[in-house]
Amino acid sequence: MGRNNFSILTILSITLLPILSLSFSTDSPTDRRLLVLLDDLSLKSSHSIFFNSLKSRGFDLDFKLADDPKLALQRYGQYLYDGLILFSPSIERFGGALDLAAVLDFVDSGHDLIIAADSSSSDLIKSLATECGVDFDEDPSALVIDHKSYAIAETEGEGDHTLIAADDFIESDVLLGKKKIEAPVLFKGIAHSLNAANTLVLKVLSASPLAYSANPSSKLSSPPSLTGSSISLVSVVQARNNARIMITGSLDMFSNRFFRSSVQKAGSPRKYDKSGNEQFVTELSKWVFHVRGHLKAVNLRHNKAGETDEPAMYRIKDDLDFSVEIYEWSGKSWEPYVANDVQVQLYMMSPYVLKTLSNDKKGLYHTSFKVPDVYGVFQFKVEYHRLGYTSLSLSKQIPVRPFRHNEYERFITAAFPYYGASFTMMAGFFIFSFVYLYHK
Amino acid sequence: MGRTTSKDAQALIHSLRSAYSATPTSLKIVDLYVGFAVFAAIIQVVYMAIVGSFPFNSFLSGVLSCVGTAVLAVCLRIQVNKENKEFKDLAPERAFADFVLCNLVLHLVIMNFLG
Repeated sequence: MGRNNFSILTILSITLLPILSLSFSTDSPTDRRLLVLLDDLSLKSSHSIFFNSLKSRGFDLDFKLADDPKLALQRYGQYLYDGLILFSPSIERFGGALDLAAVLDFVDSGHDLIIAADSSSSDLIKSLATECGVDFDEDPSALVIDHKSYAIAETEGEGDHTLIAADDFIESDVLLGKKKIEAPVLFKGIAHSLNAANTLVLKVLSASPLAYSANPSSKLSSPPSLTGSSISLVSVVQARNNARIMITGSLDMFSNRFFRSSVQKAGSPRKYDKSGNEQFVTELSKWVFHVRGHLKAVNLRHNKAGETDEPAMYRIKDDLDFSVEIYEWSGKSWEPYVANDVQVQLYMMSPYVLKTLSNDKKGLYHTSFKVPDVYGVFQFKVEYHRLGYTSLSLSKQIPVRPFRHNEYERFITAAFPYYGASFTMMAGFFIFSFVYLYHK
Repeated sequence: MGRTTSKDAQALIHSLRSAYSATPTSLKIVDLYVGFAVFAAIIQVVYMAIVGSFPFNSFLSGVLSCVGTAVLAVCLRIQVNKENKEFKDLAPERAFADFVLCNLVLHLVIMNFLG
């Protein structure tokens, strides 16, 4: 009986396998399965709007406690998740097989990550953020304080100066969507700064020039280490392998309370019924999970002008056509990507030709140019790195040969006097010999 | 002063001409040949300065054929000159045979480099 059961299970798993593997088709770059790690399961209800919006956009959320002893990101060398949301700021040690190195490996293999810290952040979360290129304030009691751009509370007259109403967004449609975020974003948490050595990390939401990071309940004894707009409230990283990371110092930013709260920035007469948090977080999560800003380049082609086949080699001074197709993922399908700044290089240690590609608005980028008068092993290179978009780095090797000996011009008009002089000298030698030998 | 200089120059040219008229005819023929080769070389250099150095190998072979011819002719002149005691043991026929052989090699190289 037990054996029978086992064989049914085997057949079932074999028939289900193709359906399972369809769910992570490589054609769609959007993440599907997200692991959410929580300090406390009550976050599931206190941040339900954010989680429900992810679910309604088709993500499979797997909630786990961060110290769950069965925690694992991969099984049999395969990752079980496409993205990881760390809503567990106070965790000192992850449960199960998960640790700092495992999370970094997860990102290194091209998966996405959201880190939310707050005032209770552990060294683990802070060192993870440091690995991603941002440094949280080392003082554990420090919060972002701003006596100018704080949010006026509804009931108390004065309001809380650690509740920041931030509206200093990065100007990028790819990161934050086409619709402008009108209302300020509420933020209550700790400050971080970007590591100057890391060129991949970007400040998405920065603090006002008057903000600083200090303990709000004690008197300032020394100048705060982080001040002004060098404080980042929300940062993103796009790694070289196009893995995307979002780091914020406020877990409350995602909470239902902040999503629903009305907001009025101190000193501003305008009161918004709803804070900008929901729009900001939703749009940024679309970017982080590759719903937006993901490019792919296909069909890199080149051929001699007037031919259609790709040659194995070019000759110097050949005319050639180059084309490549670039598409942008819209969340559902691949749409043509239209831009006028895509360039191709013909590269051998340095670019010999740099041409801007023209596009036909259907995703096809094309140009034609002449191979330079230099032979060697060249590469066609398309290096396209734009803020918010995945980076494209294509290269295709192509050798360029010199003229064959019979491909040179035989008689050059400009050289006729030289030919004439040489033959005259020969004739002159002949005549001279006669005259010299036979004169009297 | 100027008058003295022009007078000196006239005297110099006159003495040169009278001395040169004593030169044997065979050497005069060689001189004419050298003059022709140098003239052809100068014309080509001027042409290159105007047109540009594009078929540079052709230019080099054209000019060097003229210069080479002139050099070989001068060598011949030195060897067949009766007043030159250095080559008094060398027969003029031997000198001319050397001249012909060198010219053949020169023009072979020029032909290879011209195209």
